[in-house]
Amino acid sequence: MNAIVDPLSYREQRPEVRARFAAMKERPVVLSVGNLYKTFPTPGGTVTALKDVSFQVYRREFMCVIGPSGCGKSTLIRILAGLEDASDGKVLLDGNPVSGPGPDRGMVFQSYTLFPWLTVKQNVMFGPRMAGQKGGSAESEARQWIDLVGLSKFENSYPHQLSGGMKQRVAIARALANRPRILLMDEPFGALDAQTRCQMQSYLLQIWKNLDITILFITHDLDEAAFLADRILVLKANPGEVNEIIEVPVPRPRTPSQFVSPEFIATKYRIDQLIHPEAAHETDSIPFPRMTVAGDDVE
Amino acid sequence: MNPDSIREKRLREPWFAARRDLSPRRASLLTVLSFTLPLLIWSAVSYLPFLWHPDMELQISADRENVTTVYVAGDRMSRGFFPEFQEAVREQNKPVGVALESFDPAAEVPNGAAVRRANKKTLRHLVPILTSNQWITEDQAKDDAAIYAAWGEIATGSKIPMRPRLSDENLAIVAKNWAAMSEVSQTYDSDRFISVPLLSLVPQGRPANPDYLPAPHEVVVSGIKEFAAPPEAERPSMWQRVGHSVRIVFGGFLLAALVGVPIGVLCGTYPVFSKLVEPFTDFFRYMPAPTFSTLLVAIFLANDAPKIALVFVGTIFQLVLVVANTTRRLDLPLLEAAQTLGANQAQLLTRVVIPGILPNLYNDLRILLGWAWTWLVIAELVGVKSGLTEFIETQGRWRNFDSVYPVIILIGLIGFFTDQILSALSRIFFPWTSEASGKASPLVRAILFVPRWFREAAAERSLGMNSVAATSKPEQV
Repeated sequence: MNAIVDPLSYREQRPEVRARFAAMKERPVVLSVGNLYKTFPTPGGTVTALKDVSFQVYRREFMCVIGPSGCGKSTLIRILAGLEDASDGKVLLDGNPVSGPGPDRGMVFQSYTLFPWLTVKQNVMFGPRMAGQKGGSAESEARQWIDLVGLSKFENSYPHQLSGGMKQRVAIARALANRPRILLMDEPFGALDAQTRCQMQSYLLQIWKNLDITILFITHDLDEAAFLADRILVLKANPGEVNEIIEVPVPRPRTPSQFVSPEFIATKYRIDQLIHPEAAHETDSIPFPRMTVAGDDVE
Repeated sequence: MNPDSIREKRLREPWFAARRDLSPRRASLLTVLSFTLPLLIWSAVSYLPFLWHPDMELQISADRENVTTVYVAGDRMSRGFFPEFQEAVREQNKPVGVALESFDPAAEVPNGAAVRRANKKTLRHLVPILTSNQWITEDQAKDDAAIYAAWGEIATGSKIPMRPRLSDENLAIVAKNWAAMSEVSQTYDSDRFISVPLLSLVPQGRPANPDYLPAPHEVVVSGIKEFAAPPEAERPSMWQRVGHSVRIVFGGFLLAALVGVPIGVLCGTYPVFSKLVEPFTDFFRYMPAPTFSTLLVAIFLANDAPKIALVFVGTIFQLVLVVANTTRRLDLPLLEAAQTLGANQAQLLTRVVIPGILPNLYNDLRILLGWAWTWLVIAELVGVKSGLTEFIETQGRWRNFDSVYPVIILIGLIGFFTDQILSALSRIFFPWTSEASGKASPLVRAILFVPRWFREAAAERSLGMNSVAATSKPEQV
């Protein structure tokens, strides 16, 4: 009856999984993070948000970052995007140190960050126009990106006319239009309802499959991480440290039918163990007053 | 008709439901009411004599012995004092009446000339009644012959004053006086004029509001009169005054916007400017602009310059702070997103900050334009009084409040409609805001709504009748 398998031992049993990750690690490193620290001075003393975080993302890899709330995952991605400075350590993109935000690292935020005064098409053209590309060629390229996310019908709509899922698709197209080396996504589907989120995950995997793009994706959703990622970077909270990098054994292409596969469940179980090891015991010990009326038993 | 239908339920929806939208019909109805109700209250207070009316407006006045205060017809006095005033005149009449009854036209009276003068005055107390009944013109107010003849006509009953009527008491007085007067002469003759004291007319009046609350029709009439009056040499026409006032408000406001908006945007974007400029601005705005008026006159001399400068000073400090705040309210993630898309500092300002704040900036300026209007009156008192304020000042001093109100209302209307127009335009300027795709402004909707409401109400009434007929029929069967 012990169907739950540790993904690490599981991987040991499957040579094709091992081969897949070996092949991935042969590919060039796109993003290299070394001994990254982030501390904040507060009135109560210095708070360490990130402590000695090191990892590498390989070309065409899809990496998810997951961790309990307050583990500094957003701080991490903001440092990678250049929106915040690290206290110590280095961030290398294709071997070059990163300083400040730039179009080589596209970013999709959790909040909707489309420019409300620009149409869908103009939003997607924004990056190329900033780089000095002429309107005509930027426009025809923008159309291709909008096609890619399936919003051709809405290219002249304003953001307030779009649903949340559509807005995030435009945000993805807008980030991709700069042809970034890596796409940083900070809980991009966090504000969407469950069904739209599922749909968006499939969309994203399709886009990722069809393009030469590396993705670093932050999430707090175990299913999302297990469904999307090649590898999952699990962070510890207080301070944010690398707990473990899980290599997801679920084969590609991913489909929703894999949600019940042993590999998928084992991955999720492993993440869960890492994120809240003692949480299960705590919930057991919460005293629950009985609040039902006699005869209302539901068993 | 099913009485439980959704439609019926909607009609039974409560008027008071916290934070619940009213039906568009009710909303528009209320908007119409918000304008008509104050007007109705004003009309009610003005035209219903039992509402308020704390004063009496004299239609006939009288002179009293030993009292220096002189009231003339058209004056107002408090309602409490009026009976006292009447009683004093009646008391004064008692001995006069006795003397008049035993009047002998042949007898010589000492002090004849003085008594005749007083009598002439008494006759003239009837003039306001005569003019308002249009028996004599305003020019004839001192035409004693015409007045004398009118006394006779009223006494003999060949003419009866109707607008206003003469009290029975006064009709009797007219008759008694005429009886004595006519014995001396049937027509006016300064040499053959009665030389014993005549009875004074007892003061007559109607309930009135104080002069600072003229009735709507009076305001409309004098408004039309003032605005139709052609300009005179020393006196500009009303429309010239309006133009002058509008120039001062808009001049000061546009200058303030021209200077203040760039400063505000810079303060809201770059903390360097914010920390450098805002603390002082914050301090300066507490110094009331009018305190600078003499200073502004010294700097800008006469004419409009110091006035425009006052509106400018009164507006710009608020404007800088408001614009800075609006700029700061721009979603920070938008700036971050733009940076990850490769925008540099200059592009952030021109391609993100400015387009991003435009609709809010536009709204701010709308509000600040209203603010600029509040400085108008003070600005126009600076240096040489001018424009609408000068008119209000002068007329107010003469207590011509019926001429003051049209001007005050006009200023309100100009401000209100400018704002409504600007608000309507904002939907055209900023199609990308969610408000733009929403409904038109409540006022516009209300105006469009009135005819439709009547139509719908009529339709509903006929519908209701039908339903009554439909439900009652089966019962009869």
